[in-house]
Amino acid sequence: MFVHLQGPWNPVWGRLSLQAIPYQNPILLGTFTFAMIAALAIVGAVVYFRAGPYLWREWFTTVDHKKIGVMYCLLGLVMLFRGFADALMIRTQQAIAVGPHSPGYLGALHGYLTPFHIGQVYTAHGLIMVVFAATPLLVGIMNIVVPLQIGARDMAYPYLNALGFWLTAAAGALVMLSLFVGNFAHGGWYGFLPLFELPYSPGVGVDYWMWAFQLSAVGTTMGSINLIATIVKMRAPGMTWMRMPIFTWASLSTNLIALTSFPVLMVSLALIGLDRYFGTHFYTAGQGGNLMLYNDLFWVWGHPEVYFLILPAFGMMSEIIPTFSEKTLFGYATMVVASFAIGGVSWGVWLHHFFTMAAEPSVNSFYSVTTMLVGIPTGVKVFNWIFTMYRGRVRFELPMLWALLALFLLLVGGMTGMMNAFATSDYMWHNGVFVVAHFHMMVLLIAASIFGGVEYWFPKVFGFKLEQRWGKWFFWFMVLGTAWVFVPMFILGFAGMTRRLDYIPVTQWAPYLRVMLVGMAFYVMALGFFVAHLYVSLRDRVKNRVGADPWGTTRNLEWMTHSPVPAYNFAYIPHVHARDEWAWRKEHGMASLGNESFEDIHMPRNTGVPVLLGGLAFVLCFALVWRIWWLAAAGLGAVVLVIILRSFARDTDEVIPAKTVAGVEGGAQDALPAPARG
Amino acid sequence: MTHAVENPLHHPEVHQASLPGYVASFVITIGIMTAALWLTEKGSLSAQSLVGWTSLLALIAILIQAYWLLHMNWSKAQVWHTVAMVLFIPLFVVMIGLTMWMFHGLYQRTAITMPSGMRTAPAMHAATGGVATTTKEAAKAA
Amino acid sequence: MSASTNTRAQPGSTVLWEKGDAAGHDMLGTRTFGFWLYMLTDAMVYAALFAAFGVLAHNAGLTSKSMLASVFDAQAAYRDTIVLFTSVLAYGYAMVALKKGSRGGVAIGTAVAMILGLVFLAMVGSDLERLFSQGIVPQLNGFLSIVFTLIIYHALHIIVGALWMLVMLMQMGRDGFTSNVVYRLINLRIFWHFQAVIWVLLFVFVYLQGKII
Repeated sequence: MFVHLQGPWNPVWGRLSLQAIPYQNPILLGTFTFAMIAALAIVGAVVYFRAGPYLWREWFTTVDHKKIGVMYCLLGLVMLFRGFADALMIRTQQAIAVGPHSPGYLGALHGYLTPFHIGQVYTAHGLIMVVFAATPLLVGIMNIVVPLQIGARDMAYPYLNALGFWLTAAAGALVMLSLFVGNFAHGGWYGFLPLFELPYSPGVGVDYWMWAFQLSAVGTTMGSINLIATIVKMRAPGMTWMRMPIFTWASLSTNLIALTSFPVLMVSLALIGLDRYFGTHFYTAGQGGNLMLYNDLFWVWGHPEVYFLILPAFGMMSEIIPTFSEKTLFGYATMVVASFAIGGVSWGVWLHHFFTMAAEPSVNSFYSVTTMLVGIPTGVKVFNWIFTMYRGRVRFELPMLWALLALFLLLVGGMTGMMNAFATSDYMWHNGVFVVAHFHMMVLLIAASIFGGVEYWFPKVFGFKLEQRWGKWFFWFMVLGTAWVFVPMFILGFAGMTRRLDYIPVTQWAPYLRVMLVGMAFYVMALGFFVAHLYVSLRDRVKNRVGADPWGTTRNLEWMTHSPVPAYNFAYIPHVHARDEWAWRKEHGMASLGNESFEDIHMPRNTGVPVLLGGLAFVLCFALVWRIWWLAAAGLGAVVLVIILRSFARDTDEVIPAKTVAGVEGGAQDALPAPARG
Repeated sequence: MTHAVENPLHHPEVHQASLPGYVASFVITIGIMTAALWLTEKGSLSAQSLVGWTSLLALIAILIQAYWLLHMNWSKAQVWHTVAMVLFIPLFVVMIGLTMWMFHGLYQRTAITMPSGMRTAPAMHAATGGVATTTKEAAKAA
Repeated sequence: MSASTNTRAQPGSTVLWEKGDAAGHDMLGTRTFGFWLYMLTDAMVYAALFAAFGVLAHNAGLTSKSMLASVFDAQAAYRDTIVLFTSVLAYGYAMVALKKGSRGGVAIGTAVAMILGLVFLAMVGSDLERLFSQGIVPQLNGFLSIVFTLIIYHALHIIVGALWMLVMLMQMGRDGFTSNVVYRLINLRIFWHFQAVIWVLLFVFVYLQGKII
């Protein structure tokens, strides 16, 4: 039944053997050493502080949406670091390997990475940044903020929420493992067919890529179902649709995109799987397969995915800018319409990723026009933000700086995006670094919004503000790095440089490539400042303690409870009267947290099942990568069994007694903003 | 957060169930499937009109099932189910329709045909297949 | 009220916080809504598979006429249709019994639906067995790959549904009609009835129209 493999395979270990461990590669050996030291340090710290039971009880088994959100963000940050390390390798390789006389180290003819190795590096960079860094960070922030903004005590399905996180984490672990056991795909993060078919990529790299991708897609789909159901069904009384905070609207739109598009990704990847494991002919060249079918299905997901990432970023900007302009958001209704217009149009533009397929001119024109249409709702948003700031009292605190950077990058990325929308000119720079520079502007705007969002909501989650000094250094060095890396990249794009080169034949490009390396140095320094930023903030956490409303000019429901937010979010569910409820209450002098007498609160009980399922999914995918059939069968059986057994559990809820609630509310560091106290 | 305050059997979604509805859906859809089978087996229609008619029958069957089996209606209990469905339908049409459109043109322009030795069907066969499926999409969209 | 210290905006008349269980959410409705969203993602999976079917049908000519006739056995598929639709009807009966709170009725309806589901599986399975033994396998060409994938993916749902019915019979026996059991029975209805919708698509677009492609 299974396809015939070339190379060794045995029933016990599958394709796994000692040769799979790349101990002869000094770079990977160094990475392994670093990872082991880090892991030992973490495990050592956990053992030393006897934090194991605490971590298990309070974090690993939690179904609290805030803690799951924090874990999503931590996962995203770790993967962001990994993706950045990959970027550093690509940039240094390209700065060295220019021209026929460039030196070669570590077995490479030019530079220090062999073509196979750098292939894996840029594949990993792309996949990690999109799927394992940006997505978890955004999902994490949505997880934390959305239930608070709609006045709910938890998500609609807390258990599913934890499961989605642990599946994503298992997928991330799979990508990390591919560093040390086997190898990773080497043909680009979105896959090339028929290059990714078994005869042309006989190793396990594509399998790692495919299963990690697939697993994260399952996790993200679960998360989207959860957030949509939460927003539709769990809003506080009085919160009509048009009173919903704009970030919640953006989350709804973005999760509708995820809900509709991720299944298509699963199909496109599953069909590669069928080709590679069973020898079917979906994407083969010949025998009735169609390799462009893969591009079609993949980008049906791929383009909506871009807006899946960008809409929450827009949502965060729409929260930060009014707060720090001390004004209500300009054009709320148009903002909502624009979010959904972007979501809708995202479904009709995917062919612009392969204009060069040779579709009919009418098809290319259609997709050209739809792509340009995206500019209209995006333009609406840009003007709304600008009008929000217009005649406002703008305060340049850290979240606002990040939001403004995001706005600027959106302009650069958006304008160049319009240039890419022309099918005719796209024939020139298809797969060139101009396109790469364009979409890096867009993802950096997402990153800037994420940093802004983290600065903005951090005090709500942890109860203390992040310090500003090192944060500003971090911000400005990110700006410098972005300018120095991507301005030369735009120029090289016009000069005709194509993406994913392991060797650059044109020596005239060398100066630009070296300028980009300077930019990378700025980024490295920024990373240092970021660490300092976190360290100093943690050190001074007692000094930086804040109350419910740390910024003083916030507007939405999430600021109407204590910081840090108690497990049950709100002792009483708020009743909503206006669009910016908190601002409305402050205006009308009702800004009290309403803590007099308390009642019992029903909450879901913590459970270890999601971690277990995440672990089993990891084992299942690992077995499938290495074709260890007995282990795969056992893993699948265990997953099914655990799901069924869990469905028999009756004791899944618990009650937080009124006394405990009163204790928490009484003990909260309840510093309300002075004017509100009246 | 479960609030099991009332008897779940009194929930409006439980009360959606209706025996006449289920029986009607069963009888009508079986009838429609029989008609589709009969049209195909009879073999007197041209390929194109056969595709058109059977697609139309499928559409009717699905509408009937959506109403009586999946309870797609605007009642308070079901309205968000229906809204979600309505939001999905254009995407089904867009994805399948646009895909068929771009590949239909692509096949013609790149003139990818099968190596003749591997085929047993007439040379024009594949081309009509492309046309037929496009018509099918058109009928489905309509 | 908590805003009583302040006199500017209608003190007392403004409800700021919901006391009591007034903010309790409709658990059952939330569960079925989420499951329905999942069902729609599954529909999207089918849509993507049908898009692939449309694209790969261009190369249907790689399969010989006699093989195509063998694969698209419309009369066998029609028999499958009757069995599956009867199973769906039986589960509908279980839902009507649930409305009346009749445990026996729900059990009988679910059991009949499960058995008919298994009959359907056996029929599709023996059909696939026959094709495979004739050397008509998904590995032959792209068109057969997608045709078999569609058929087998649908059959996998029937397996899951039958297993789910077994689990529900056990939970119903143990717990009676608790909210957990009731929402799962309704989700199972959504799942099972959805398979009938998908089968209409498979029957018409694959079994009937596949022949004339």
